[in-house]
Amino acid sequence: MSRLDATDIQGFAVRGYNFPFARFLFLKILEGKKGRAWLGRLIAEITTGERWDHGKPKSTVNVAFTFKGLEALELPMASLMSFPVEFVQGMKARAPILVDKGRNAPEHWDVVWQGEVHAWVGIFAQGAAELDRRCLELLALEQETGGVENIGSQDAAALQINGQITSKEHFGYTDGFGNPEYLGMEKDSQPGQGKLTEDGKWTPLATGELLLEYADEAGELPVAPLPHLLANNGTFMVYRKLHQNVATFRRYLKEKGKLYPGGEEKLASKFIGRWRDGTPVELSPDKPDPAIMNDKNRNVNFTFGKDLEGTCCPIGAHIRRTNPRDAFGFNGRVINRRRISRRGMPYGPYSPEDQPGNDDGEHGVVFMAVNASIFRQFEFVQQQWIEYGNDARQGNDKDMLIGNHGGHGKFMIQGTDDPKNPPFLCGGLPNFVELRGGDYFFMPSITALRLIAEHAVDPR
Amino acid sequence: MSNIHGKAYALNTISPMQPWKTYILRLFFWFWGIYKPLGDGLKQLSFIHFARWVIVPRHGFPWLGEPQPKNDLRYDYLLFFSNFNGTWNQYIDAFSAVLYDGLNLIWRWSEKFPGSRPVTPFKNFIVRGQPETTYYYTAYPHATTNDVKAAHRVQAALQEFAKGSQGLPPDKFADAYLQFLMKVQGDLGETGEAPVGT
Amino acid sequence: MPNKSGTIYGLTILSPIKHEGHIDTSHSLAIRKYLHKLPADGRGPFGKVSSTHMARLVVLDDVEYFGMPSCEDHLKSRYLIFESNFDGELETYLNDLATKASEEVHGIWQHCIGYPGVQNVPAFIAYMKRCQVETTFYFADVNDKTVEQTLVALQRQSAVASFIEKNQGKPPAELHRAFGEFWARLQKAPPPKPGSTPGKEFTDKLL
Repeated sequence: MSRLDATDIQGFAVRGYNFPFARFLFLKILEGKKGRAWLGRLIAEITTGERWDHGKPKSTVNVAFTFKGLEALELPMASLMSFPVEFVQGMKARAPILVDKGRNAPEHWDVVWQGEVHAWVGIFAQGAAELDRRCLELLALEQETGGVENIGSQDAAALQINGQITSKEHFGYTDGFGNPEYLGMEKDSQPGQGKLTEDGKWTPLATGELLLEYADEAGELPVAPLPHLLANNGTFMVYRKLHQNVATFRRYLKEKGKLYPGGEEKLASKFIGRWRDGTPVELSPDKPDPAIMNDKNRNVNFTFGKDLEGTCCPIGAHIRRTNPRDAFGFNGRVINRRRISRRGMPYGPYSPEDQPGNDDGEHGVVFMAVNASIFRQFEFVQQQWIEYGNDARQGNDKDMLIGNHGGHGKFMIQGTDDPKNPPFLCGGLPNFVELRGGDYFFMPSITALRLIAEHAVDPR
Repeated sequence: MSNIHGKAYALNTISPMQPWKTYILRLFFWFWGIYKPLGDGLKQLSFIHFARWVIVPRHGFPWLGEPQPKNDLRYDYLLFFSNFNGTWNQYIDAFSAVLYDGLNLIWRWSEKFPGSRPVTPFKNFIVRGQPETTYYYTAYPHATTNDVKAAHRVQAALQEFAKGSQGLPPDKFADAYLQFLMKVQGDLGETGEAPVGT
Repeated sequence: MPNKSGTIYGLTILSPIKHEGHIDTSHSLAIRKYLHKLPADGRGPFGKVSSTHMARLVVLDDVEYFGMPSCEDHLKSRYLIFESNFDGELETYLNDLATKASEEVHGIWQHCIGYPGVQNVPAFIAYMKRCQVETTFYFADVNDKTVEQTLVALQRQSAVASFIEKNQGKPPAELHRAFGEFWARLQKAPPPKPGSTPGKEFTDKLL
């Protein structure tokens, strides 16, 4: 297929920027005409998907809209109603499907997410000073045009441990592996990212799993809004602020780690399927291995076909639930339409490893994922593979780390008669992670942004 | 929602077939009764409790005598009844992704069948011919077929272990218990409510 | 024998629904109304006929028209479809329906043409067989376990998981004793009722 026009796609959709600082602004659109004028000016600031062959920019800017935001920008009704139903409803209304109940229910969300957010503006920067500078510029733009109001913001930053910028998150795991590879994307590819072929090789996923108006894994075009020009090169983003109960996690790991013959670090590796340094358990079950971890040809290159019993990587481990690869048979064909690209970042200060940590306070992960169909991709994984376990033959058992356990529920670690790798049951699971808000956004292409700004969206 | 009881969904479909095509379909079903690719594929997908296809020829709808009016149908009808786990979309997505050949061989004889790939026209075809279930009962609503099979394996292993470990001294018992754990450790998922239908 | 897979029987019955002169909506509507009120769990008719794994009733108003160039086709009667998956033999099952769920069976089938009532069981069985259509291809994922065996296995599965959790890490002597007690209690536990959902509280009581 022909190469994608990277200048038309927003950069955030095609790659994680890997910048250590970020700020997400949440906007309300106060008035259609002025809001469109603001958007018209913003377009010049938007970072596209072009490669940075001549050096990285100091900061990037991208924008996305909720259904309410598109409505406020006065897209025609026929166009609005052609958006997929889950996007129209918004994430709050989808709570029963996502099992966002109990402590994750909307009534416990941050105030800004209990209200109506219209637009998300994402700014990533190489340094804290640059982040502030760029934000001030954008605020000035808002003031010039009027029509929009900042109703909230969220800072995020890579965790700094002993003065070093890391890719760890608050539970101590190294994050950022396993994003899929798509056809036509100019990106360094790694074996293991795409889908499996009949002869066990890796090949990129269909472009239409990420971008609208391209063929997807089912051999058709994903559901997309009208007109074509509005949808083309666009994608949908899911934003979820996930608070992490660090004290609860550390206490639980310590407690169970004392009882688990393999020790605390090995237990932690069984929860996720990777050692805390990032080494996949499937490739190195006994200890972390920097040689594998640092080798991009190896660190996502594995399958579960030889470990169907789960004695290496437990059947219910996090990475196995969210990307089962060949674990369900059929060479992975049943799962190819359930992949998502994650762009998240931690927020809040890191609590040193030797401390008990905090459940209170503002720290966690801003989870952001992009996919062509929120319903078929993100919502499916969340409902069927995180909050439920039937496909993995684990009944109603939830994902150990991010499941909405409510104090019940269990995680079974399959083992062998090796005394260091025994069968071990972790019960009484608390909520290690709590949802504090979020929504569903549409991230238009540059062309579509212009169309919206010029009030020229015509569904016929 | 009367199509659903617990974790099971009662799907019904009805599609018309020109009578000469019915013979071909019967041949395929006869063949699959002996050589097992269809049954094997269904078992591997592992989300159907029970499913059946019923060919009702145009004169085959029961007629119990006067004064019931006699049917005067042009087509034979293929009825399909499935008791499956998961959501409607998930079910059809999975079939379309991996059993499309089998599905095509069953439904291509039905009028206006669009093929099982791509999936959206296929889903529209099913919706068209899907009468609602009026009443649905399952004896084990909180268990999927995976749960049922896991439970039978655990039960068998438990019986074996209880019998085999009788009279063993504690430390030998503990060894036998470990072996038992290793047998059942993949089959201990809790049963309970189904996710919300979508 | 296409109606059977292993020990499970796949019964398909199409019962024509009564007309009322030219106004035939009232009987099919009456069936719908009646079914809507019936409990769908073990208190309903199929909980009483406990060899039923899964069963459904579908009021079929007409066949479907899929569009040109196909022709429009119409049934002259509405049909009540009864699809059941049960243990054992047909005659026994139909007998059970007539005797163990007689009230509900009458409530449903009284609206169907040719229904002779449930009092005369042989007549009822003959009537149901007249409306039976043969299953062309039948699939049963688990085709060799009865409803009761399945319910007991599910109960045991849950109990075993709880036992493993409660006794993890215990020294051999204690484990041995605990298992002995657990096993004894399991033998005494009554099998769960069909259509019910025993849940964890039930199995926790076993320990």
